[in-house]
Amino acid sequence: MILKKKLSSTGYYVVSAVIAVISMIPFLWMISTSLKTQGAVMTIPIQWIPEEPTLQAYVDVFTTFSFARTVGNSLFIAVAYTGITLLSSSMAAFAFTKIHFRGNDPLLKVYLATMMIPTQVTMIPLFVVMNRLGLINSYSSVIMPSLFRPFAVFMLVQQMRTIPQDFLDAARIDGANTFQVFRNVALPMCKPTLATLMVTTFMESWNDYLWPLLMLTDRSKMTLPIALATLTGQYNPQYALLMAGSLISMIPIIIIYILAQRSFQYGMMAGGIKG
Amino acid sequence: MKRRKRNDGPGRDGLLRASPFLLPSLIGLMIFSLLPLLISVGISLTDWNGLDSIGAPGFFREHFIGLDNYRTILTGGEFWQVLKNTGTYIVLYIPGMLVMSLMVAFLLSREHRGVLVFRVIYYLPVLTSWVAASLIWTTMLSPQYGAVNNILSLFGIKGPGWLLDPKWAMPAIVLVSIWKDMGFFGLILLSGMVDINKSYYEAASLDGAGAWTKFMRITLPLMTPAIFYVLIVSLINAFQLFPQIMIMTDGGPYGATQVMVERIYKYGFRYFRMGYAAAFSWILFVIIMTCTAIQMKAQKRWVHYDS
Amino acid sequence: MRKTRLFSLLAVVLAVAMLGSVCAFAAGEDAEEVTITYANFNASGGNEETLQKMYEAFHEEYPNITVEIETIASADYFTTMQTRVAGGTAPDCYELNIENFAAYANNGALEEITGVDLSGLDDTALSAFTVDGKQYGLPGNFSNVLLFYNKDLFDQAGVDYPTADWTQDDLQAAAEAIRALGDDIFGYYQPLTYNEFYKVAAQFGGSLLNEDKTEFTINAPENVAAAQMMADRVLVSNVQPTDVQMGGIGDWDLFMSGRLGMIPTGIWAFNTFTEGCDFDWDVAVEPGQVQKATHFFSNACVINAKSEHKDAAATWITWLTSSPKSAEIRIEAGWDLPAIKDQDTLAGYLDITPPANREAVFDSLNYLVVPPVIEDYSMMSDLIGESLSAAASGTITVQEALDQAQSQCESAINLG
Repeated sequence: MILKKKLSSTGYYVVSAVIAVISMIPFLWMISTSLKTQGAVMTIPIQWIPEEPTLQAYVDVFTTFSFARTVGNSLFIAVAYTGITLLSSSMAAFAFTKIHFRGNDPLLKVYLATMMIPTQVTMIPLFVVMNRLGLINSYSSVIMPSLFRPFAVFMLVQQMRTIPQDFLDAARIDGANTFQVFRNVALPMCKPTLATLMVTTFMESWNDYLWPLLMLTDRSKMTLPIALATLTGQYNPQYALLMAGSLISMIPIIIIYILAQRSFQYGMMAGGIKG
Repeated sequence: MKRRKRNDGPGRDGLLRASPFLLPSLIGLMIFSLLPLLISVGISLTDWNGLDSIGAPGFFREHFIGLDNYRTILTGGEFWQVLKNTGTYIVLYIPGMLVMSLMVAFLLSREHRGVLVFRVIYYLPVLTSWVAASLIWTTMLSPQYGAVNNILSLFGIKGPGWLLDPKWAMPAIVLVSIWKDMGFFGLILLSGMVDINKSYYEAASLDGAGAWTKFMRITLPLMTPAIFYVLIVSLINAFQLFPQIMIMTDGGPYGATQVMVERIYKYGFRYFRMGYAAAFSWILFVIIMTCTAIQMKAQKRWVHYDS
Repeated sequence: MRKTRLFSLLAVVLAVAMLGSVCAFAAGEDAEEVTITYANFNASGGNEETLQKMYEAFHEEYPNITVEIETIASADYFTTMQTRVAGGTAPDCYELNIENFAAYANNGALEEITGVDLSGLDDTALSAFTVDGKQYGLPGNFSNVLLFYNKDLFDQAGVDYPTADWTQDDLQAAAEAIRALGDDIFGYYQPLTYNEFYKVAAQFGGSLLNEDKTEFTINAPENVAAAQMMADRVLVSNVQPTDVQMGGIGDWDLFMSGRLGMIPTGIWAFNTFTEGCDFDWDVAVEPGQVQKATHFFSNACVINAKSEHKDAAATWITWLTSSPKSAEIRIEAGWDLPAIKDQDTLAGYLDITPPANREAVFDSLNYLVVPPVIEDYSMMSDLIGESLSAAASGTITVQEALDQAQSQCESAINLG
C-alpha cells in the first residue's frame, strides 16, 4: 500500500514535471532573449544562456516612454474592466439561473450567440457607435464594454446551476431578500469561478491592444501594450526589447494569479459545506 | 420574521425581480453588441469597401447589392477550402485540448507538495503573448535546427517541415494552440473540480477505489458542467482562430492555413471588401450556431447539474 | 451620509470637467493658432525622437502651427487608420504606404495636394503617389534596394566583386562559385515573392499591367522568363536555399551568419549589418538583364479630405518631406533617406561607412521602377505571391503559376 502510494506519487511528479518543462521552455527563452544583444538573438542553434548578457533592453523599456503613467493607465482600465465584468456578469448569471422569468432561455441563447460573430467585422460599427456616443478618447470607451461579457456570464451560469436550490430557499426562509441571497449565498459559492474569471478578465483587458489603440488617441491615455508595440520597427524587430516588455507586462498578471490561488482553497471549503 | 412567497413559476413577478440583476448586462448587450451586429448585417448586404464614411446620408441605398456577397461566397471554391482548413483545425484541436486540460486540472487538483508552483508554471503559456509564443515556436519548429526535430531525431524519427510544409502546417498550429490553451481550460476545469464534495471521495476510498476509478466515477461526471462549458467556448473560439495564424503562417504555405477569420480580416482590412467580409462572418455565424445548438441538444444526455 | 458623500464627489468631478472645458475653449479662441494631428508608423521602433526633433524645428519656423504626433506600431496601423477614416475621425494628415495609398485616394479619403512647392522632391517618388495625374501624397521617407555581398566569400571562391554593370548571368556565375564552397553555404537569396518578381520582371522588360493599367499582363513571356530564372536558382542550380534548407531563419540572419554570398535588400539594413556582420561586406547596384531596374520604397504623407485645417496640414507635410532642415535631421539619424533632389544636402550621407560603396545608393536612383499602383494592390500582390510560392516549391510550373495568377486577378479585380 505504501509502495503503491510512493509509486503513484513518483508518477505524479514525473508527469507534472514533463508538462512543466514544456510550459516553461518558451518562457525561459523569453528571459534569455530579453538579456541578449540584438545580434545574438536569432543564432542557430538557439543560445539558451546569453554570452554577453545585458540589461539594456529593460533600461530602454523604462526610459523610452513615460512608464509609470502608461502602467497607471493600464492598471486603472484593467481593474475597472474586471470589476464591472465580475459584478455585471454574476448578477446576470444569477438572474438566469435562480430567478425564473419569461424569456429566460431565449435571452441566454442570444447572449451566447453574440460570441459567435468575429469581432473583426463589428469593429467598425462599434467604432461608429462609440463616436456617436462621444466616447472616443475617453477611458469609458474601453471600460464600458465590460458591462456585457457573454463569455463570463455563460461561465457563471454553468457554475450557479450547480448550486442546489434548497440552499437559496433556506436563506430566503431566514428572511433574506433576493439581493441578499445573491450576495451572501450565491456569490460565495462561486468563488473559484469568480477567481478564475478575475484572472482571465484582468489578463484580457491588460493585454488588449487593438481596441484601446482605436479608442484612445491621446498620448497621455496610452496603455502598456500600445507603448510596447511602438518600440519595435517595421523591418527590424527588436526582439530583446519585445521580450523585456512582454515579461514586465506579465508581472501584474502573475501576481493576480497567485493571489487568486487562495480563492481556490476557499472553493474547496465551500464545496465541503454542500454535503 | 416574514416568510416570502416562493416564486418558481415564470411570470411577471419573476421578470420584475430579475430585471435589476439583468439591467447592466442588458444595456451592454444593446449598445456594444446588438447594435454593431445589426449594422454589420446591413453591411453584409452592401459592396462597402470599409473606407467610405459609413454614416453618410444615402450610404445604404448607394451601396446596397442584396444577397450578392452571400452568393459569391457560397458558389466560389475558396469558402469551402477555407471551411475544410478550419474543420481540420477543430477536429485535431478540440480532443487534444480537452485531454491535455483535463490532465492539467487533474494534476493541479492533487494535494501534493509544490502543487502551487505547478499551478503557476502551467499557466505561463496562457500569460505569454501570441507574439512572443509564435516567435519561439517558429524557431523550435524549424525543420533543420529546431529543438523539436532534434529531439525527434534522438528517437530515430525524421521530423517533418512543420510550418513550412503544407501538410504539417495545420497540425503544427494545433500543437502550439493546445500548448497555449491547456492551462486556461485546465484552470476552468479545475474550478469545476475543486467544487466537488470531498465526502464523495472519502466514501469511495472506503470502498477501496483507486485514484483512476475515483477520477472516472466521481470527478468526471461531477465536472460535466465545466467540461460542457469548455467544449462550447473552445469550439466557438476554434472557429475563430486568428492571431496564431496571422503571426506564424499568415495563411501559408500555399494557403494551407487559410481559415475563416483570417479571410474575413484580410477581405475587410487588406483587400477593402468590407461587405464581403461581413457576409463571410454571418455565414460563419450560422455554422457556429448550428454546431452549438447540436451541443446544447446533446448536453441533456451527459451533463449533470445539481448533484 | 453615504449619499451626500457620493453627491459631493460627483459635484467635484463635474466642476473639474467644466473647468477643463472652459480652459479648452479659451485656448481655441486665439484665431492664429492651429493645432493639427499627424499619425504615422514609420517612426515606431526607434525614430520617435527624430520625428519629434523635426517637429520642434518646424514649430520654430511656424510657431502658429502645433502638430500632435501619434506614432503607431506598423503591425496594426492600417487597420486603425481604415477604421478611423470609415468612422470619420481620421487625423488631419497621416502616413500611408504604397499598398494602401491608391485605395484611400480612389475613395475620396484624401485631399489633392496643391498650392505648395514640390520642386525639391524626387520626381519618381512623387509619381508613385499620383492618381489620374493628381498628387495625393508626398514621399516622406525614401529607401531603395541594393545588392549586398559578402566580400570574404567572394575572395574564398576567387570571383570578382559585383559591379554596376552586372547582368543576372554574371550573378548566377558568381553564385554558383560561392555555392560550391560548402554544403550549407549559398550563393544568393532572392525569394520568389511578389515584390522581387515585379522588379526582376522589369529587368527582363516585362510588367504586370499594360501601359494604361486597364489589363493584367502577369503571364507575359518576359515575366515567365524572369520567374523561371528565379525558381531555377532554388530548384535547379540550388544556389539559393529552399524554405526547408533555410530552416525557418530569416534571410538577414543567413547573411549575417556568413553563409550567404549575395542578397538584394534595402538600405535600411546598413545599421543592422554593420553591427551584426563579423566579415567584410559591401554593396553594388542591383544587376539587370534587358535593362536595369531597382526597387524603391516610400511612404506617402497625405491630407485627410475632411480635415478642417488642410492648409496647415499641407504646410507641415511639405516641410516634413522637402525642407533641408528636416532632411538634415533625417540623414543625421540614419532614418532612411529624404526623397529630395538637392545633392548637397545628401552629401553628408556618403561619408558614413560601411558600406564603402555608399554611392551605389544614388547610382541606383537612375533605374527606379515604379510599383504597379492600383486600387486593389494588396489583393493583386497576395494572389501573385501565393501562386509564385507554389512555383518556388515545385508543386506547379512557373507557367502554370503565372497563368493561374493572371486568371485569378482578372476575375477578382476590376481594373475599371
